[in-house]
Amino acid sequence: MSQETILYENVNIGDALGPSEMYLSRDQVRAYAKAMGMWVARFTDDVEARKEGLPGMITPGNMSLAILSKLVTDWIGSGKAKMTRLGTTYRQPVLPDHTIVLQGFITHKNDQERTVDVDVWIESEDAERLVIGTATVHFPK
Amino acid sequence: MAVNYDPAIIGRVFETTDPVPVDAAAIAKFTETIGDTNPLHTDPEAARKGPYGGLTAPPSFAVTFRNGRHFFEHVPRFGRAGFDAGKDVEFVAPIRPGDSITLSSHVKEIYEKTGRSGSMVFVVIRSTLTNQRGEVIAHVDHRFMNRT
Repeated sequence: MSQETILYENVNIGDALGPSEMYLSRDQVRAYAKAMGMWVARFTDDVEARKEGLPGMITPGNMSLAILSKLVTDWIGSGKAKMTRLGTTYRQPVLPDHTIVLQGFITHKNDQERTVDVDVWIESEDAERLVIGTATVHFPK
Repeated sequence: MAVNYDPAIIGRVFETTDPVPVDAAAIAKFTETIGDTNPLHTDPEAARKGPYGGLTAPPSFAVTFRNGRHFFEHVPRFGRAGFDAGKDVEFVAPIRPGDSITLSSHVKEIYEKTGRSGSMVFVVIRSTLTNQRGEVIAHVDHRFMNRT
C-alpha cells in the first residue's frame, strides 16, 4: 500500500498503477469462498469444476473485483481520495495456482469534479487480460 | 433476434433482504482473504485518525452481500444458462462495523449484443445497499450474460 498521500494535482494521464504480481493459491481462493459463503464446487474443487466444463476451479468474480479494487485503494493510500466507482468485465476465468499481474493507468482527469478515471486489469502469466475494469477516484479539496 | 420480455419488470423491486449485521470480525476476515493491509480497514487506532474517523470496510466489501434465496428466480433467462459477466459498483458511503445492510434489487435493463461467438442477451440487476439509517451505501449492478 502507498504510504504517500496522492494529490490530485500530481496525477497525470498515463500514470501507472502497478504492475503488481500476485500468486493466487488454491487455498486463498477456497478461504475467500468459505468466508464469503460461496462454497460451491466451481470455486473449491478441480474435479467438480471440470464437470461443469471449466478448466478447473476458478476464482469467484467478486474476488477478482476485490483484488482490482485493492489495486486502486493501495494506490490511493490512506489520504482523503476515495474510489467512487468500479466496473469489471470477466473475460476469461482466473485460475488459482498461477501468478496474476495487476495493472492500471490513468486515462482521464476532470478538473471540475476533481476525479480521475483509471483502466485496470488482471493479466495472466501469458499477458492475457482475464478481467478488465474501469474505476473513478474522487479527490476532495 | 428480438428479445421478448415484459417491460413492466424493469425498475420494479422484486426482493428486499433482511438486514445483515456487519462486525469488525467480518471485515477482518474479508481483508485477510484478499491480502488487504490498508490500516483504514485493519487498524482501529490508525483508522480513527483517517478520513472516516474510524474503521471502515474496503469498498469491495459491498459486493459480498448476498441477495436472497429467491434472487435468481427473478433474473429473466434467455437461451442457454447465463453467467456472471461483470459488475458495476457505485460506492456512495463506507460500511462500518455495527452497520446493518439491506439489499433491495430490481431489473435495471435488458439488452442484446452480437459478438464473434454469436448473439448474447445481457440482464442487469441492480442491488441497492442501505444501512440501518436508510442511507444508501452502494449500488451494485450485476451483469448476467445469456448466449442465445
